[in-house]
Amino acid sequence: MSDKVTIRRLATGVPGLDAILGGGLPEFSFNLIVGPPGSGKTTLAHQIMFALASKERSALFFTVLGEPPLKMLRYQQQFSFFDPQKITESIRFVNLSDEVSTGNFDEVLARIIKEVEASSPGLVFVDSFRSVMLEARNQPQGTLSLQQFIQQLGIHLSGWQATTFLVGEYLANNDPHPVFTVADGLLSLDQSVHRNSMVRQMQVLKMRGQATRPGMQTFRISSAGIEVFPTALVRDDNGAVHEPAGSRRTKARVAMGVPGLDEMLGGGLPSGYSMLVAGPSGSGKTILATAFLAEGVRRGEPGVIVAFEQTPSQSRTRTIDDMVRAGQVGLINTRSLDLSIDEIVQHLVAQIHRMNAKRVVIDSLSGFELAVAPTFREDFRESLFRMVAVLSGLGVTVVMTSELEDRYTDLRFSPYGSAFLTDAIIVERYIELDSRFKRVMAVVKVRGSAHSNELREFEITDKGIIIGDPVGDYEGLLSGRATLVPQVKVVGRAKLR
Amino acid sequence: MATAESKLFRESIRTALAQRVGIPDSDATAKATAATWRLVAAQLLPVIGARGLEVLFDRAHRMTCATFPWLAVGSGSGAGLLPGVAERLACQRPAEAAEASYTLFVTFTELLMNLIGESLTARLLTPVWAGPSMPSVKESVL
Repeated sequence: MSDKVTIRRLATGVPGLDAILGGGLPEFSFNLIVGPPGSGKTTLAHQIMFALASKERSALFFTVLGEPPLKMLRYQQQFSFFDPQKITESIRFVNLSDEVSTGNFDEVLARIIKEVEASSPGLVFVDSFRSVMLEARNQPQGTLSLQQFIQQLGIHLSGWQATTFLVGEYLANNDPHPVFTVADGLLSLDQSVHRNSMVRQMQVLKMRGQATRPGMQTFRISSAGIEVFPTALVRDDNGAVHEPAGSRRTKARVAMGVPGLDEMLGGGLPSGYSMLVAGPSGSGKTILATAFLAEGVRRGEPGVIVAFEQTPSQSRTRTIDDMVRAGQVGLINTRSLDLSIDEIVQHLVAQIHRMNAKRVVIDSLSGFELAVAPTFREDFRESLFRMVAVLSGLGVTVVMTSELEDRYTDLRFSPYGSAFLTDAIIVERYIELDSRFKRVMAVVKVRGSAHSNELREFEITDKGIIIGDPVGDYEGLLSGRATLVPQVKVVGRAKLR
Repeated sequence: MATAESKLFRESIRTALAQRVGIPDSDATAKATAATWRLVAAQLLPVIGARGLEVLFDRAHRMTCATFPWLAVGSGSGAGLLPGVAERLACQRPAEAAEASYTLFVTFTELLMNLIGESLTARLLTPVWAGPSMPSVKESVL
């Protein structure tokens, strides 16, 4: 026989979990779910159980001290996945507290074996492992040791043709339990509090026979249960390097919706590019981004805006609201301060697919950074890189705004060092000219394309941004010390007043 | 205020107990109470464990004693109270014993409903109150 065994992968019913497991849970695998109290272990186990249990694939859930079963049933019912109809029909709870409290593991094992053999379940859960360990201190002489019990349980669990789970509390990293070796899968859950934010993360430390998503993955627990936000991958699902940026790009140019700006960009923003619009507060970044979306709508190209601004300007709100209400633009608006970038990327990608969006605005990176939980701020730049790569892979054209302190001593485009991540940059600045505060903008970069290098004055009016002349008669504008260049004579251009 | 589900349960409990007792008789009520409790325990023990069951039964018993003070038992808890409860029931007039037995089970069921919800309680206890699955009093031994 040359046919190799094919391992079926079960869809766990936990959004995002199958992706980090590498395609689902291998059927008949023996898995450990470990983590500190309150990290969501039982919730995860229940969610998987309720999703997978059916008349054909029944589930046995052994409860062992730890959380009193009455409480567990009371609180787990708050999740929408908890379906009372499945209890007794395809899910059976078995309480082992009496057997475990004696510390006699022969009895515990015998009871588990008896129950499993009686009903031949497709899913077996034992919650919790730590309770078993604690009771080991009371075990009578001459009975199975804890280690023997765990090993025998592991062997039985593996041989039952059931997909099995041992749920347990924290196990020391420096002293891994022998059961770790027996297990096919190991999921570690954790939660960390940093300042006022709480972040939940999980990691697939082991899953035999399949490529799992490496690293910590953030997840949330809501009334719908657990939702995992897999780290955005720059590689595709087959492990191959993602299509290089630009491969999905066409030679088409995208109109920005601001008269004169397309010419400055060399004919519009190349389709599929990501652009950074950097400038100080009030310089018109959001208005430019809104014009970009509105132009898309005018041309039948739906857009998505991710808004993080705490006090959105009235004009932006009105224009965006109109487009959102008309279903032409999708809005992801958040004030939450404990987000992970991966969570936003997941929502964003889903929204892009749902709307078949061609244009995306992220307004602003500064607000984004604030909304991200402090734990993730250290990796903000890295995560931003992944986000841009993912969006680039989708072929959408992206405009990101970035708040930039107006400094006259240096010329910077982004506080995140993110300028190199983007294909195009527009910088907006305030200048003092003729005893007036004026706005100027310039195209700093359009990758692979000729573009204007002029510093152009612009105004914000009721009709949007009006780009004016180059500020040709002065030099040193960006240093804050503008001086008149006497010989320069501007001909044929209307000066803005 | 009793919901539709709990009203239905009350009716089922009353009917099932009456069927099990047969002709009103205090001794039969005592035996039916003990036998029915064993059915309840058999259904719930695997799910909520011995301690959970004990705590609920003790509370239901204490609450029932507020209406039927003669049902109080000196000591013990959980299933340990049962012989004493049966003894007290057997000593009462048939109607009074039947009412106390009914109140004990209704109180217990509603406590459980408060904790784990009506739907799940119904899933777990329907076999107890569905007539055909109940053994007759003669089959049960105190």
